[in-house]
Amino acid sequence: MVKQRSAGPLEQVGPFCWRVPPDFKPGMRVEGRIYADDRLIEDILGDPALEQVAHVAFLPGIQGASLAMPDIHAGYGFPIGGVCATDPDEGGVISPGGVGYDINCGVRLMRTNLCYRDIKRQLEPLIDRLFREIPAGTGRSGKYHYSSRQLRRLMQQGVPFLQEQGLATEGDVHHTEAGGCLEGADPDQVSPRAWERGADQCGTLGSGNHFLEIQVVDVVFDAAAARAMGLEKDSVCVMIHSGSRGLGYQVCDDALKRLRGVPARYGIELPDRQLACAPIDSPEGQAYQGAMAAAANFAWCNRQLLMWQAREAFAAVLGSDWQRLQMNLIYDVAHNIAKFERHEIGGSMRRVCVHRKGATRAFPADHPETPAAYRQIGQPVIIPGDMGRFSWVLVGRPGSMQQTFGSCCHGAGRRLSRTAAVKQTKGRRIDQELARQGILARARSRRGLAEECSEAYKDVNRVVDVVHGADLAAKVARLRPLAVIKG
Amino acid sequence: MFETFEHTADLGLRVRAADRTQLFAEAARALFSVMVANPESIARTVQRTYRIPGQDDEYLLLDWLNELLYTFETERLLLGEFAIAWDQEGLNSTCWGESFDRTRHELLHEVKAITYHRLLVRQRHDGWLAEWVVDI
Repeated sequence: MVKQRSAGPLEQVGPFCWRVPPDFKPGMRVEGRIYADDRLIEDILGDPALEQVAHVAFLPGIQGASLAMPDIHAGYGFPIGGVCATDPDEGGVISPGGVGYDINCGVRLMRTNLCYRDIKRQLEPLIDRLFREIPAGTGRSGKYHYSSRQLRRLMQQGVPFLQEQGLATEGDVHHTEAGGCLEGADPDQVSPRAWERGADQCGTLGSGNHFLEIQVVDVVFDAAAARAMGLEKDSVCVMIHSGSRGLGYQVCDDALKRLRGVPARYGIELPDRQLACAPIDSPEGQAYQGAMAAAANFAWCNRQLLMWQAREAFAAVLGSDWQRLQMNLIYDVAHNIAKFERHEIGGSMRRVCVHRKGATRAFPADHPETPAAYRQIGQPVIIPGDMGRFSWVLVGRPGSMQQTFGSCCHGAGRRLSRTAAVKQTKGRRIDQELARQGILARARSRRGLAEECSEAYKDVNRVVDVVHGADLAAKVARLRPLAVIKG
Repeated sequence: MFETFEHTADLGLRVRAADRTQLFAEAARALFSVMVANPESIARTVQRTYRIPGQDDEYLLLDWLNELLYTFETERLLLGEFAIAWDQEGLNSTCWGESFDRTRHELLHEVKAITYHRLLVRQRHDGWLAEWVVDI
């Protein structure tokens, strides 16, 4: 029996679940539900994110609850770590703010057949080569240049287009969420400005919290699932976190501009302009879906090309080829996206638009969208932590389908603002501190490194304990960083 | 002069000025101060003009700052000086700056966009105030 506790407006309704009652704010159509433990909930109570969970509950057609994962923190409009499902048959809306500027920002994990001891001495040349070869930092352009015709096909087809070009394998396609292609992409809804911003940015890392990290498996929790992914203790992996670059930012910005005045026209009252939305079946809603899907496909191609460049760098430094190093993609997950999925609501299966803003899909074993290789264990869920501590590999659990529209957390979640992180690390050299821990860090900006320091993030182990405990996803392996490049 | 305010994931900016014209110029300077470590080093060798239609001060500010961001991302042009004029159609501005030069300019942040969240332009008894959050 769970002892019910109350924390401000929150009411504890499970060992890892807190309820925001629908009368917390007039206008909420459903309750809010936040997944957290006793400690994490204290951070959430002091953050505007709580109010943002309530604001999302204002959206027409929202089903079940406005959901928040344990890595929740304040975003703009939607909280980061937020999930909401809307039903088009009940006047449900689609909201560009529920996806964010970095459409299909996401993370992928690639395995290798290397052990830590195999590369210990070559770690420095490896990370230096990756830092040299992989364009990172503000507005950097990459080595892949596409004509308008090719860019159109890339946005329409996603990763299968790169497979045609010899820059992706069949395995890469199958091990990417949605096969690396969101249906309904309409490049004609992508403005010339977005085309221009994206033309030479496919295959570039960007900056902020984007990174490429060489990691080693530190602990295995589920040997069978780890084996299915090709992971074992001490094996070396590469994790990549990036999104749709300038193209996606511009698509979101264009959509928000187009939606000015639109919610009022449909009689929708919103507590925050960044929640701008339109009914899913409206012309405005359809136009955004087409543009968003095109940007999502661009993002999957971006991470594919980043991984391809990492394969080339490993092969060059280790004097082998990447196939021999068995550098295979384990999985790629989106964490800023709106997707149509079928979920059981009130006893019947319904097609809903699931917005995940800083949240990861976590489909269980036997789900038709879980790739064949993982059908028995569940979809891999990749959770980056921070560059000084750990990251995690999980698998989706049936509890996610019952509670969170097949979703779980997407990372550790920030606890300090960027300015607070810089203030807290004043006078310290984060790169040297990491080096003392045995982690090599390469960054374009020292300030950028300070903003991304470990203390700026919640403890990812605690966040993962919550999703594991709530049966949203289960622990498979914990990864430890060896070397990182930041934009 | 600008100040930052706390925002967990991104960065909040606040500027104050005696009038609306100075407010918009300060806002642009604040944006470039987030993007480059030494905005005072931006030379005035290239000129750009912008015409932003609209009547709503908040949308004018957002649209104008997004234009400057777009110019930077597509042309690598840093801007340091801003002249602003108003007419019935909206805002007209002439800006001066130079191309990014990695030997003299240090980039600090990639600003993805100017968000609508907490976007505010207000005339108060002691002058004008603007606040907005940039997505980093």
